[in-house]
Amino acid sequence: MDQSILVAQNLSKVVPSTEGDLTILHALDLDLAKGDSLAIVGASGSGKSTLLGLLAGLDRPSAGNVILAGQDLGPLDEDQRARVRAEHVGFVFQSFQLLDSLNALENVMLPLELDGRRDAREVARSLLERVGLGQRLTHTPRQLSGGEQQRVAIARAFAAQPAVLFADEPTGNLDSHTGERISDLLFELNKERGTTLVLVTHDERLAKRCRRLIRLDAGRLVAPLEP
Amino acid sequence: MRRLSLLRLCSLALRQLLRDVRASEVRVLFFALLVAVAASTAIGYFGARLNGAMQLRASEFLGADLVLQGSSAATDPQLSAGTELGLRHARVVEFTSVVGTDAGIQLSSIKAADAAYPLRGELRSAAAPFAEERPGSSPAPGEAWVEPRLLVALGLAMGDSIDVGMKSLRISRVLTYEPDRANNFYSLTPRVLINFDDLQATGVIQPGSRVTYRDLWRGEAETLSRYRQTVEPTLAANQSLRDTRDGNRQIGGALGKAERYLNMASLVAVLLAGVAVALSASRYAARRLDASALLRCLGLSRRQALGLYCVQLAALGLVAALAGAVIGWLAQLGLFRLLDGLMPSTIPPGGLTPALAGIATGLVALAGFALPPLAALGRVPPLRVLRRDLLPVPASSWLVYGTALFALGLIMWRLSLDLLLTFALLAGGLIAALLLGGLLLLGLRSLRRLLAGAPLTWRLGLGQLLRHPLAAAGQALAFGLILLAMGLVALLRAELLDNWQAQLPKDAPNHFALNILPDDREPFAQRLREANAISAPLYPVIPGRLTHINDEPVRQLVSKESTGERAVQRDLSLTWAADLPQGNALVSGEWWQAAPASDGIPGVSVETELAASLHLKLGDLLNFDIAGQQRQARVSSLRSVHWDSFQPNFYMIFQPGTLQGLPTTYLTSFYLAPGHDQEVVALSRAFPAATILQVDALLEQLRSILAQVTLAVEYVLLFVLAAGLAVLFAGLQATLDERIRQGALLRALGAGRPLLVRARRIEFGLLGAASGVLAAVGCELISWALYRYAFDLQWSPHPWLLLLPLIGALLVGGAGVFGTRRALNASPLTVLREG
Repeated sequence: MDQSILVAQNLSKVVPSTEGDLTILHALDLDLAKGDSLAIVGASGSGKSTLLGLLAGLDRPSAGNVILAGQDLGPLDEDQRARVRAEHVGFVFQSFQLLDSLNALENVMLPLELDGRRDAREVARSLLERVGLGQRLTHTPRQLSGGEQQRVAIARAFAAQPAVLFADEPTGNLDSHTGERISDLLFELNKERGTTLVLVTHDERLAKRCRRLIRLDAGRLVAPLEP
Repeated sequence: MRRLSLLRLCSLALRQLLRDVRASEVRVLFFALLVAVAASTAIGYFGARLNGAMQLRASEFLGADLVLQGSSAATDPQLSAGTELGLRHARVVEFTSVVGTDAGIQLSSIKAADAAYPLRGELRSAAAPFAEERPGSSPAPGEAWVEPRLLVALGLAMGDSIDVGMKSLRISRVLTYEPDRANNFYSLTPRVLINFDDLQATGVIQPGSRVTYRDLWRGEAETLSRYRQTVEPTLAANQSLRDTRDGNRQIGGALGKAERYLNMASLVAVLLAGVAVALSASRYAARRLDASALLRCLGLSRRQALGLYCVQLAALGLVAALAGAVIGWLAQLGLFRLLDGLMPSTIPPGGLTPALAGIATGLVALAGFALPPLAALGRVPPLRVLRRDLLPVPASSWLVYGTALFALGLIMWRLSLDLLLTFALLAGGLIAALLLGGLLLLGLRSLRRLLAGAPLTWRLGLGQLLRHPLAAAGQALAFGLILLAMGLVALLRAELLDNWQAQLPKDAPNHFALNILPDDREPFAQRLREANAISAPLYPVIPGRLTHINDEPVRQLVSKESTGERAVQRDLSLTWAADLPQGNALVSGEWWQAAPASDGIPGVSVETELAASLHLKLGDLLNFDIAGQQRQARVSSLRSVHWDSFQPNFYMIFQPGTLQGLPTTYLTSFYLAPGHDQEVVALSRAFPAATILQVDALLEQLRSILAQVTLAVEYVLLFVLAAGLAVLFAGLQATLDERIRQGALLRALGAGRPLLVRARRIEFGLLGAASGVLAAVGCELISWALYRYAFDLQWSPHPWLLLLPLIGALLVGGAGVFGTRRALNASPLTVLREG
């Protein structure tokens, strides 16, 4: 357990609706070791993204705790959680989520600068070279293809050397060939840097590349699959 | 879907609108329209009612709302036209006649008035000279109210009798104030007020007598204007109609300026609201592109799609306009309540017109500013359902800007009814927008290069501006317009009022002294000096009538209702002076040298407005009838006169030494600090022939009018501010989606709130500062044009406008952070929901 980087205990999420409270996530437990990889799969509306949001500290649970990199997120306010994210967490989103007002290099520099790093420019440059975009540093997101944008997003996700990388359908908006290459890149970097990976996906092939897999159905864990 | 009836289209549109009520852009659009209509309705009502109130005050100086004046009695049809319309009527006849007693005779100015006189304002009288004044009532038949100087001249006491013609009248009171006397200070003869019923018995009025008949009318503006229309064609050459604007030059001038100011301010408010409407309408359209594409996909025609959204917008506009009109009406009610003590007790209600005009203004603004972006919804390619990047073919920019400009021009024209002012604003705004927008765009582009090494907050803030340099330039222009409007309003408010106030300095003359006899001239001046009065020089005055211009009878030369026409209908106060009087400026020609002209005809200097009205030019030969003698003079110079100065001013100034041998009196004006009434009494006693008029009352009236105008101006400024804020928030709404996404992403990546706030401050601070620079430059350009062409005032640069960039940075920075707080507080979870 001393190797645990991400722990969820009795995690629940309830939202109010017109027909009374709606439970999106039912008392879920999870323990992820450093360097491990976890795929969360399930049908649309099964609570995958909600779980990801809770694990990454983007949202607060209705009950239960999340302990990320040894820190209990429960008592932290939004700004304190932001600090934890800046220090320990990276993200890759389905729709890339690059800032249109910044170029590729600046997008990758962003988490480093938020962390107060002085070598942001150099680190970002080398990461972009690593993902094959060394020639496209000053291009803005609009000047890049979908695959290229996702590679910038991956470079950004790894830039601050996060302990945990959360990826939400990272290949969902890409064709299968490009998606394949993006997932290769993701797993290569994960391996190189020893990052813990939490992946939400519909793509069974992508899910199977993770060491562990959980399946959600209506907010309940139906198939914890220990390898 | 092809058979979709209009009714079903409307019901579909209204259903959609109801669903959309919670959408932020619909709300902003609604509020922008609400502000536009409320502002223009309130200003409309306020302007109309204030104008009415001021007219009411001005009517006091006329004693009526409208006066039919002539040297012969009004005809029966002319009188019955008024009474049939239900106007209130009073009759006044004025003439000069000798008043006799056993002790002697005195030429006097007799006024016979019926019990209804005056219709506006009040007579004031006292039981004895220098006793306490009492307002109201009028002499009963058999009585006469006289000016104190008549008592002095004839050695009379209260209760004594005087003979006016064949009628003997008892002096019952001392006349101290006639509301309509303001027009006629320069009367050489003391006033005697008698009852109209005694006129016949005096037997003074015979065919050929020089008599002025004045029929006073009072009623609603509309009825008065109907009366004017009826009577105008029937006027004889010796008759004229006079209204409040003619009643008094000072009031007329102040009214004109106030009206211009109010109209300009409401114009600015509507202009700003128009920008807000345009901004929120384009967001409204952008957010409905998908839905429109889907409807097209499902078989709706382009026209039906467009119609669907037009109906929605029209319904929204109508509701907003009605609500805005009600709010505007309430707002002006509130203001008048606030001004309770200052305003006259009865303020004309203002009617429905301002509300209807406000609603129309809002709808025209909606059509002009919202239709161009809305038109895009009709042109959305249905393929957009598959490819979201497909945008509608953009409308021709001529169409877009043309429609907006046309609507704007229409509104401006309606509001100001002053094409010159409208054109100056439109052209100034357009030129400023093009020039400054271009410069700003260049500036932003060059900033991009400087940006590479800047800290993160600067790059985030500036990046937002630089990502769409055109939009940033547009935003800066929009905000610039607000600041410009506010700057301009503040500038005009400060300067116009300062100008008015400056015209009435604290030591403006508060007394006029007339009819000072030549022998009394020096002693009188000496007494004034002893009393520490601030006095203008003593000017000789000779009443005389202009009869011929270049040997042509003057009556054939002037147009009706002109200054010139009025000038030739009555005696002018002629004077002579060696030096150009203070407050006068030579416009053309030369001031005379010591020697008379070579042809022996003396020179005369003519006031420019009168000269223009009489078509006089330098060298023209003028004939005057002065006390039965004919005199000639040649126009040697034209002068502009500062009429509002309360100094003795003259239309005609003769070369010294040319009016010798004619009966002359002197006049002057002076300021005596309040509380020196005894000295005025002493002065009257020492110089019984002189008339001393206290103009404090008149000044007080003017001051209270100015106070009203000042308050009105400040109130109107509030509306402009509200309209400005509407624009600001509408502009922010347009970028809110993107900002929320960006804020959520930055927070997901670990950025704290302070960083986001700093970036926003930099962005909006820079935007505001840029707007401020634009506003300062634009303000100077427009103020120059307005001063020069509309207000006829001297222009000089305004260094305080350099504060505008700072104010802009603070205002836009603060409001920007406030307006985008949703983006600052956006849950980082949003990025997951979106993606």
